[in-house]
Amino acid sequence: MTEPLITLKNFFERARDGALTGVRCGKCGALAIPPKEFCESCHQRAWEPVALSGQGTIASYTIIRVAPARHAAEAPYAVAVVKLKEGVSLLGRIVDMPLDKLQVGLPVKFRPLVSKDQTTVGFGPA
Amino acid sequence: MRRAAVIGVGVTKFGKHDRTSAELFAEAARDALADAELPPSAVQALYYGNVVGGETEKQLHTGPQAASVLGIPTVPTTRFEAACASSHAAFRHAVMEVAAGLSDVVLVGGAERVLNVSTAEATEYFAYASDAVWEQSVGLTFPGVFALIARAHMTKHGTTEEQMAHVAVKNHRHGALNPKAQFQKEITLEEVLASAYVADPLKLYDCCPFTDGGAAVVLVSEEIARRRRRAIWVLGSAAASDSMLMHDKRDLARVPATERAAAAAYRQAGLGPENVDVVELHDCFTIAEIVATEGLGLFEPGSGGIAAEKGWTSLGGKVPVNTSGGLKAKGHPIGATGAAQIVEVVTQLRGEAGPRQVEGARIGLTHTLGGNTATVLVSLFGRD
Ligand SMILES: [Zn+2]
Repeated sequence: MTEPLITLKNFFERARDGALTGVRCGKCGALAIPPKEFCESCHQRAWEPVALSGQGTIASYTIIRVAPARHAAEAPYAVAVVKLKEGVSLLGRIVDMPLDKLQVGLPVKFRPLVSKDQTTVGFGPA
Repeated sequence: MRRAAVIGVGVTKFGKHDRTSAELFAEAARDALADAELPPSAVQALYYGNVVGGETEKQLHTGPQAASVLGIPTVPTTRFEAACASSHAAFRHAVMEVAAGLSDVVLVGGAERVLNVSTAEATEYFAYASDAVWEQSVGLTFPGVFALIARAHMTKHGTTEEQMAHVAVKNHRHGALNPKAQFQKEITLEEVLASAYVADPLKLYDCCPFTDGGAAVVLVSEEIARRRRRAIWVLGSAAASDSMLMHDKRDLARVPATERAAAAAYRQAGLGPENVDVVELHDCFTIAEIVATEGLGLFEPGSGGIAAEKGWTSLGGKVPVNTSGGLKAKGHPIGATGAAQIVEVVTQLRGEAGPRQVEGARIGLTHTLGGNTATVLVSLFGRD
């Protein structure tokens, strides 16, 4: 039986339960974070969902001190691009880690950030 | 394909205005038409850039609105939204319209008004150019995007905060020579380094300001341009795009869309980076200038910080970059920026830039980047 298409909605429903889902191209093996209709490497459409470990290291980060209006109360906060163990990257909010200890290469682990109506991507200590 | 040329330019003073973006555009367009010695009735199409009018002015349909305020309501008008590259995207399409022989006189420009809202609101609207679900949701800002690029560049190439500060100092020094600039004052390296972090490692003085302003250029066919002494030819105009999401970008220390757009524009013009005498490029943040000088081929990958530190991009240096003061000091009314850069390069190639003139400049380049580096336009210009 074929897996259902990974939409943003079910990606975040799974993420809410702590499970990160990627898609792997059945033709060229490229790994991506959904949704993607075609593989950007080989332009085929042969995705297979894969479970991602959520473990990775910080590839780059910033500490946002001047925040958009709707996040103003949360500043300062850190946002990082995390390179996951499987090779694909994911942007998220860094939580439960001292801002002055952040550095490129630091190991982190996926953590869903759940508010009443929304799940967003977070990373906490490995 | 026919050749196209710019024969008129206009730009408002950049800074805070108590006028709508349409009024700001109309002022710039009036000056551009006067400069071109053409009446408004000569305009056959308007290509217009405006980005956050829907938020700051509660105004959509800003193209025809601008045309109406200018007094040419029946001219076919198209509004472009490509984040900060909007009016450069408009320019490229205008070049195609003239080159295709559909029109002989096209007005191109843009305007933006943002200083009528708070910094927190403007920061939120500018972040709309990042992905809503993946990036705005976690609080990534426009400075945050370039902070991620800066950190990656520092890690990969050893670029320093001090090298980035040199970009700000240089652009303010240039801006002090431009009466249309938002900031006409020089700043010191110490002031930049002592300014507060906005998005680490970027500090306040690494960032361009919020700006109100408008800019316009008159683009015409070769037949009309040949009768004008001060015509500046469009030698190439190219666009490139890249992944929308920061997490899909393979190397955060590079902007591949700049590299692709530059390669295409150089190819059209039959020129290379070694031929360029003056450059207006997208320094929305100091790191953006460093990465752009590398992507345009002016300096080797990873050496853009050294170039800034050594003064190679300063007036009097190897290749003067952002003689107008750039987005950093001249200001960045996002819908107008691409057109305003063309205004500066045309002024330079005409030899009319006064105290900031690059002596003998024959070939100029403009580079405009949209938002999260997913849009880049590069155009090349030359005089007879
Ligand atoms: Zn593939």
